[in-house]
This record gives sequence, C-alpha cells and structure tokens, in this order.
Amino acid sequence: MTQFNIQQLVDDLEPVRTLRPKQSMAASLIITGAILMLIVLWLGPREDMMAGKPDSMFLLRGGTLLLLGLANTYAAIAMASPSVGRQGSGWQIAVAAALLFPLAALIVTMSVNPAEAISATATGMQCLRMSVMGGLAAAIPMVLHLRRGAPTSPERAGWLTGLAAGGLGAFAYGFHCPFNSIIYIGFWYALAVGICAVICRLVVPRLIRW
Amino acid sequence: MIAREDILRDLMRRSQTGDKQAYAVLLEQTSRWLARFFAQKIAADAVDDLVQDTLISLHKKRASYDPARPFLPWLAAIARYRWVDRLRQTYRHAAEELQDQHSEGSHEDVVGAKISIARLLDQLPAGQAEAIRLVKIDGLSISEACAKCGQSEPLVKVNIHRGLKRLTMLIESE
Repeated sequence: MTQFNIQQLVDDLEPVRTLRPKQSMAASLIITGAILMLIVLWLGPREDMMAGKPDSMFLLRGGTLLLLGLANTYAAIAMASPSVGRQGSGWQIAVAAALLFPLAALIVTMSVNPAEAISATATGMQCLRMSVMGGLAAAIPMVLHLRRGAPTSPERAGWLTGLAAGGLGAFAYGFHCPFNSIIYIGFWYALAVGICAVICRLVVPRLIRW
Repeated sequence: MIAREDILRDLMRRSQTGDKQAYAVLLEQTSRWLARFFAQKIAADAVDDLVQDTLISLHKKRASYDPARPFLPWLAAIARYRWVDRLRQTYRHAAEELQDQHSEGSHEDVVGAKISIARLLDQLPAGQAEAIRLVKIDGLSISEACAKCGQSEPLVKVNIHRGLKRLTMLIESE
C-alpha cells in the first residue's frame, strides 16, 4: 500500500465509539421482557404461575429456553469483535441441553399416542407465530450490533442469532402457554426455535456481510 | 522491525480516540505485519492489494476492536476474512490464477505461527485442503491439479467450493 493511501485513511480518521456488547445484550433482553409482558397482558398468564405454584415442567422449559437465548445472544454479539483463537462453547452446551426436549419427546412418542400433540395444532400454531415474531424482534439489537462490528463468519452469526431469537421468543411465549406435555414442548417449541434459526441463517448474513 | 503487540494495542487504542499521529504509525506497522502475514499465503503480486483491502477493513471496522483484548488476534481475524474473501472472488470470477511465490527469509512470530493459514487448511478434509493448496496457493490450473492429486475435475471444483465455505466458518474457531 502506498504512503499516499495510508495518508488518506489517516486524514479520514475520526474518533469512534467502541462496540458496547452489554448494551446490545441488554436491549435484546429488554425487548424480550416487553414481549413477555405484552403476551401475558394480551393472552393471559399461566394459571399455575398466577396461583404461585408453577409446574416443574414450566420452570424447566423456561430455564432451558432462557439459557439457550442468553448463551446464543452472548455468542452472536461476541462475533462482532473477531479474534483468532478465541474459544466459546457455551452456546453449544445450551443447544445440547435444549435438544433434550425434542429427543425426550421423540422417545415418549414411541410409547404414547402422539395424537396429544397433533390435537393441539391450533394452539401450537399460535405458539409458533408468537415465539417466532417475538424472537425476531429480540434479534434486532443483535443484528444492529453485528452490522457495526466485523463478524468474520456471517453464516455462523446468522445461526447463532436465530437460535438466540428462538430461545428468547419461546421463553417469552412460555409464560402464557398452558401446556406441560413433553411431546407438545418437544415438537412445537423445537419447531419455533428451528424456524427462527433458519430464517436468521438465510437473512442475517446478507445484512451483516462487509 | 515490527512493533510489539503491546505497542500496537496502545496505538490502536489511541487511534480509536482520533489520534492521527498514532494511527499513521499503526497503519505503517500494520501494513508491514500484513505483508509478512500474507507473503506465504498468496501470490506476491496479490499481496499489496490484499494488504490494502485489509487496511481499509481495519479503518472501517475499527470500532469493533475491543481495547481490553490483544490487537494482533483481532487483526489476524480480519486479515484471514479478507484472504478467504479474495480466494472466493478469484474462484467465483475465474480470475487469473495465482502463482506461488514463497518469499525468502520471511518469518512469523509466535502469534503469526498460531494463526497461520496453514493451520486452518489442516483442519479441512484432506481432499478439500489439497484442492485449495494446489489451485489457490500453488497456482495450478484445475486440470493440472486433477493430474497431480488424482481427483476428478468436478471433485476438485466441489472441494474448492466446500473448502472455502468451511474456511470461512473456521476463521474464528481455530
């Protein structure tokens, strides 16, 4: 590179505000909280939660989805500041933990009549719609953060954003969802997370490529 | 001689605040580091362009550097991204093939060794790594590469395509 070109860059230099990963993560969580409130106000909260005796499956599902959302949000946002040799496997562990639900559902389905999950198609579709829409809204701060940054693997950033969106969206909807069946959770919730992941994998790389 | 990591890091921190003098020194030092970094990975006549592309990326994406972290791994990630991007463009547009011009006497420091692109290639399946090495780094034509590695022509093309895609995925996860 010629000295002249370097001088051009030097002349163009302005102070920059470095990326604020915590702010972007907080923005995603605030949006998730807002969506959760909207869903609870619009569709109503779970009865067991209102009674102060939450079902163990609700707690397990909510915890897993929140963990999935947080781990992937962190990993997606971290991709904006690339660095060779940095390891981050937290999101993989969270994904593996979340996969236990569809896996358990599959095993249970073999011994139980799967009509239970199929008969709840209308509710399942609502679960899908709300989780995906809520999740995609929560993904907006992540995408904006990635656009400002320098993600060196746009496809992976897309997957991570989608998994984060799916986890957060499904977590928020779970405060209304009255179902505790492992078959229902393993099918509809896994589908919601999967759809978010595929949408973001297809869309996000186009938005963040540099 | 190229400045040490801690000096480059300090220069980058000051550059982010708008210190033009520090930035000029940083760019000059960085361009030398990049020239050495790319020397063994791409044809000599392509090094200057790649260094320039990487410096422009550094300039545009300087906000993405976290001052609390080391500078060279960040720079290396950007350099490798630009390198893979360049390989992909070359492949996609069937541009003039690259010549292997290993520079004499160049060396890589500890960071450079760790982040070397050869290590990335080692993580690819053997067929993909060989196809990329022969065509993209050694500068052979597809048919010459086929004769040398025993793969069919479509397989070499598929291996290059898949290998470049996988390289992109590997950039941050060495």
